[in-house]
Amino acid sequence: MDDIDAMFSDLLGEIDLLTQLQLLYFYCPLSPESLHELEDNDLDALMADLNAAEQKLAMEIQDRPSPPPPDLSSSSAGSSVSGRASAATSPLPPPPLQSSKPSMEEIEAQLKADKIKLALEKLKEAKVKKLVVKVLLNDGSSKTLMVDERQTVRDVLDNLFEKTHCDCNENWSLCETNPELHLDRTFEDHENLVEPLLAWTRDSENKILFQERPEKNEVFKNPQNFYLWKKNRKALKEMKDKDKELLIQENFCGTSIIVPDLEAVFYLKEDGKKSWKQRLFQLRASGIYYVPKGKTKSSRDLVCFLQFDNLNVYYGKDFKSKYKAPTDFCLVLKHPQIQKESQYIKYLCCDDAWTLNLWVTGIRIAKYGVSLYENYKTAVRKAAVSSAWANRSTPSGSNPSTPSPTIKSSVTHNALPPPPPPLAEILPPPPPNPVLPPPPPPLAANSSLRPAAPQRHLPTNFSPPPPAMDNLPPPPLAPPIEDALEDPPDFLPPPPPSVGFASLPPPPPVSSFPPPPPPATNEFLPPPPPDPTQSVFTSSGAPPPPPPPPPAGAAAAPRAAIKPSGSVRKGPPAPPKRTTPSLQGGGGGGGGGEGDFMSELMMAMNKKRGDH
Amino acid sequence: MAVWDLSVTVEDLGSDTPPVTVSVTSDLHVGGVILKLVEKTQINRDWSDHMLWWEQKQRWLLRTSWTLEKYGIHADARLLFMPQHKPLKLRLPSGITLRLRACFSSPVFKTVMGICQMLNIRHPEELSLLQPIEHKKKKKDKGSPEDIYDLTDVPLSSVSRPCLYNGTPAHFADSPEMEAIYKMLSVTQPPPSPEILAKLYRPASVVDKAHIHSRWLDSSRSLMQQGIQENDRVWLRFKYFAFYNIEPKYDMVRLTQLYEQARWAILLEDIDCTEEEMMLFGALQYHISKVSQSEPSMKSSSAAMDDLDSALQSLEVKMGGESSSAFELFQMQFYKFKLSDMIVHFRPKRLTLKGYKQYWFKFQDTSISYFKSKEESIGEPIQQINLKGCEVAPDVNVATQKFLIRLLIPAPEGMNEVYLRCDNEQQYAQWMAACRLGSKGKTLADNSFQSEIQSIRSFLAMQKSNYGSHGDTNASDESIDTHSLVSPRYHKKYKTKQLTPRILDAYQNVAQFSLTEAVMRFLQIWQALPDFGLSYVVVRFKGSRKDEVLGIAPNRLIRIDLSVGDVVKTWRYNNMKQWNVNWDIKQVAIEFDGNVNIAFSCMTADCKIVHEFIGGYIFMSTRSREKSDTLNEELFHKLTGGHEAL
Repeated sequence: MDDIDAMFSDLLGEIDLLTQLQLLYFYCPLSPESLHELEDNDLDALMADLNAAEQKLAMEIQDRPSPPPPDLSSSSAGSSVSGRASAATSPLPPPPLQSSKPSMEEIEAQLKADKIKLALEKLKEAKVKKLVVKVLLNDGSSKTLMVDERQTVRDVLDNLFEKTHCDCNENWSLCETNPELHLDRTFEDHENLVEPLLAWTRDSENKILFQERPEKNEVFKNPQNFYLWKKNRKALKEMKDKDKELLIQENFCGTSIIVPDLEAVFYLKEDGKKSWKQRLFQLRASGIYYVPKGKTKSSRDLVCFLQFDNLNVYYGKDFKSKYKAPTDFCLVLKHPQIQKESQYIKYLCCDDAWTLNLWVTGIRIAKYGVSLYENYKTAVRKAAVSSAWANRSTPSGSNPSTPSPTIKSSVTHNALPPPPPPLAEILPPPPPNPVLPPPPPPLAANSSLRPAAPQRHLPTNFSPPPPAMDNLPPPPLAPPIEDALEDPPDFLPPPPPSVGFASLPPPPPVSSFPPPPPPATNEFLPPPPPDPTQSVFTSSGAPPPPPPPPPAGAAAAPRAAIKPSGSVRKGPPAPPKRTTPSLQGGGGGGGGGEGDFMSELMMAMNKKRGDH
Repeated sequence: MAVWDLSVTVEDLGSDTPPVTVSVTSDLHVGGVILKLVEKTQINRDWSDHMLWWEQKQRWLLRTSWTLEKYGIHADARLLFMPQHKPLKLRLPSGITLRLRACFSSPVFKTVMGICQMLNIRHPEELSLLQPIEHKKKKKDKGSPEDIYDLTDVPLSSVSRPCLYNGTPAHFADSPEMEAIYKMLSVTQPPPSPEILAKLYRPASVVDKAHIHSRWLDSSRSLMQQGIQENDRVWLRFKYFAFYNIEPKYDMVRLTQLYEQARWAILLEDIDCTEEEMMLFGALQYHISKVSQSEPSMKSSSAAMDDLDSALQSLEVKMGGESSSAFELFQMQFYKFKLSDMIVHFRPKRLTLKGYKQYWFKFQDTSISYFKSKEESIGEPIQQINLKGCEVAPDVNVATQKFLIRLLIPAPEGMNEVYLRCDNEQQYAQWMAACRLGSKGKTLADNSFQSEIQSIRSFLAMQKSNYGSHGDTNASDESIDTHSLVSPRYHKKYKTKQLTPRILDAYQNVAQFSLTEAVMRFLQIWQALPDFGLSYVVVRFKGSRKDEVLGIAPNRLIRIDLSVGDVVKTWRYNNMKQWNVNWDIKQVAIEFDGNVNIAFSCMTADCKIVHEFIGGYIFMSTRSREKSDTLNEELFHKLTGGHEAL
């Protein structure tokens, strides 16, 4: 029995090791050198994520009776370079021999079974791939985050909502661009992000964008445009809400998902040729078909052009110049793994944007079915929650207020004019998504992380971050501190017109319900803890310190910058851009420069390990 | 009041027996007449199901409190005293014929409710009765007397019937025979032989398809009133294609019969589909018929649990055995099922004809690796190919012993084509199954591996038997003639050996389904066909002189121009303000939002049938909002009854 115990603990240690190796599987959409260009805050974020994962592991190991294998740190450090490969093939180190004793009693058998289960779980964990991904925001800045292969695009979006403080509306999406092929597509919220990224080539110039893509959800907002596309546009425009609702019911809520019955003439780029040939295409649930020359449109005569099993649909850009396409309204179907020009990529081109959208949406419905609708509903729920939350912290005069202690603090910063909103107690607590549980890694960060925080390599020497950064228990405290500390400098003295808080006295758009205009709200959102940018804020602010130092401001700038351009659709003209110019300026991310990024990280990790 | 003689024929006494005469007055109510009649016959039995039928007026005298005067009955009336429930030969969508007692006196709607209750079919409002097509080829018919399953002994009851814990109605558990019949109802029938299939009537045009719809019985009148006699044949069919709340647990019979109706609609080209769709339908039918033989009742098992269990089990076994390293233990988990073989490998190069070379192949996880030889297989492979997301296609000819697996493997530059040539069937089946699993991102440890191998082998066997002899195709269950899975159009287009690989190809995507899942999938694909749910009627629109076709769907009406075959107009019910039938000129007039008015007369079916279709679909759409499970019969008749409802 001792043998077996020893064997298992060794085994588990090895697996932990493996897990850590996987952590080092780095990925960046830009060339490897550009890792250096990561901004300080990105690096910090990364470190936080890594620490989180590591901490979690360490705790788990401690929870177990057996000590972690002694050689943990050295071996993982040594193998950092091979980390990449290890993720894919997971070479399993040979653990010691196992000897089983014939005379085992039942209890032992049970113990054994438990351990097997544990081992299996750990094995699964060990196989989890994690990528570090750089997401481009609308303003040209970027966020770097760690994504593991179990996370869906939805999880990542939620993560980004926390980090960017956009208005969280349902149209925010992650998009993939392939500049070489002139393609882009919106990831579906239920997709796993890691898998498609693994298909990118090493030298890929592909990018991931965080953008609002209204076309993603258009079919649920105006289903008539897709399902009754033959009717005249005017009639479609006047469609009543209840009829729209009915259409969604009919097509997405029955036993079978109905794909819009589309038919259109497309120009098809012939395999490997430069010419484009016209054909009449039809969309069916089972694939795209065309009507052969001289045949009728009856189903039995249709020729199958392709089926969707292994294909994704993309929008093509500038195909007129690149491929001499008749128009610039192109859609492309290809296997997600194909990254370069190939005869296996299908190019279709139609006469107008309307048709293009109709088809791309139709193909998505055929391919993903009810998941699209589920995604949409989830996104809307989230948007509602976050907009309610946003409204909560915005002053609104209409609410008779009975300020409760919790609220008071949240209001301090807007201080002056209107009474605090009473909503606080009704609304769900700020942690970003009550609906979905947060994705595993961030969760880990929240729960087991606090001890790790001090070790973060901050450019400044602030006192350890206060607990307020941990969003779980008493979140409402966080925002006020931040704002209270930051506002005065640029707000109290008559601020420049563009100051973010200028809209504080209840800005008209805010009260018009759903999502308030981003500039007014973003700063009010409680900072989600995993974001190191935020933690810089809070940590700097917690004890009564002097005005925030420049580095913090620099970190804040890109974050605040994200949203404005994207949110055009929602109502009122966007008020003057965001932030506090006075705060801007500083460092801007020159820090991460020298040395090999990987080795730097390794050093950091090792140091941490030493601390334990 | 004057007393007069009323003569009544009592059916139970035999047709030769003269009518029984009772003395009545005009103010005697019908109940009184029946009482006198029963006393006069002096037969002591249960007469409770008996009622009077007035032959000249073709109506039942069901209101026992009405007087003869109120009914307008005089001495010359020819009355029949007979049971309301009589045997009926009912042909189900599956093709099985049952003999059961149905109510001849209530409106057909209610009669169908009774039948469905007996057969345990929920939502009877979706079904109705059709008069069968008369067969002209009666001379040939005597050859095969069809089986008729008798249910006439099932007690009639108006209250809900008790059910056993597993959902079987109690009356089907009475005897082994009854249980067998219930099984017949709830299990799909084997595929028909291609010869039978080829002989059956298939509509050739949309006008042909319209004719069947002239045969629906009127839901608001009784069987007796529509000339249906005792022991006549009628068809039970799903009429309204709005299937509410299908719940496999409770809907075994309903689901099975629905599947059968859909299957026959596909096979007989009642609904059009593409070739690819036909192959998928074929594959599903094959799978369903195979699974229903091994898995008698619809149930779903959790594959994930099985997986874990078997993995743990294998670990246990391993650990109990002689000492082994934990390393092997891991291998067990991930590479428990390891395939390695010498396989001839071929990578086509442009402009090269043949380039087969032998390599030692290994299958691990979802990848294949190959080595120069077995000895070198411990080291680095020459190449490792991850099959996830690749396309796998067979290139097999059993006769010439050609067993090729064609792989299209995605790579950043495009798809790489690779051929694996196997030596024999056994090897081919294993590697093919492995490649298929790999392409779906599954490892060999997946519990579908063995069944995948099985099905590949049985498809190979099919090809063999078809190649050899053509006669005994139905000899074993293992070999189904693939021609019986597709419509006769494809019998001409493809030989069996061409068809089989295509169905097998489609089959790989459905092989892992449980019976219920497969049936549901079949129904879903059927429902996703563009023409699904359309019932056709030839009509003539007001102001037009040519025949056109009106298609009636669950949510809309469509107008089809016969000369072009295209849908020229669509009207949705939710824009409909009202519809009226002018029974005198047999014209249906409908008004839609925005002052759109249409009117048409019906050429192939009575306008009552069209009226009932429209009203019926509107009724169906009200169900979801209705909280209670009880059927709102009154509303149905209000919407579909026409002048008779008044």
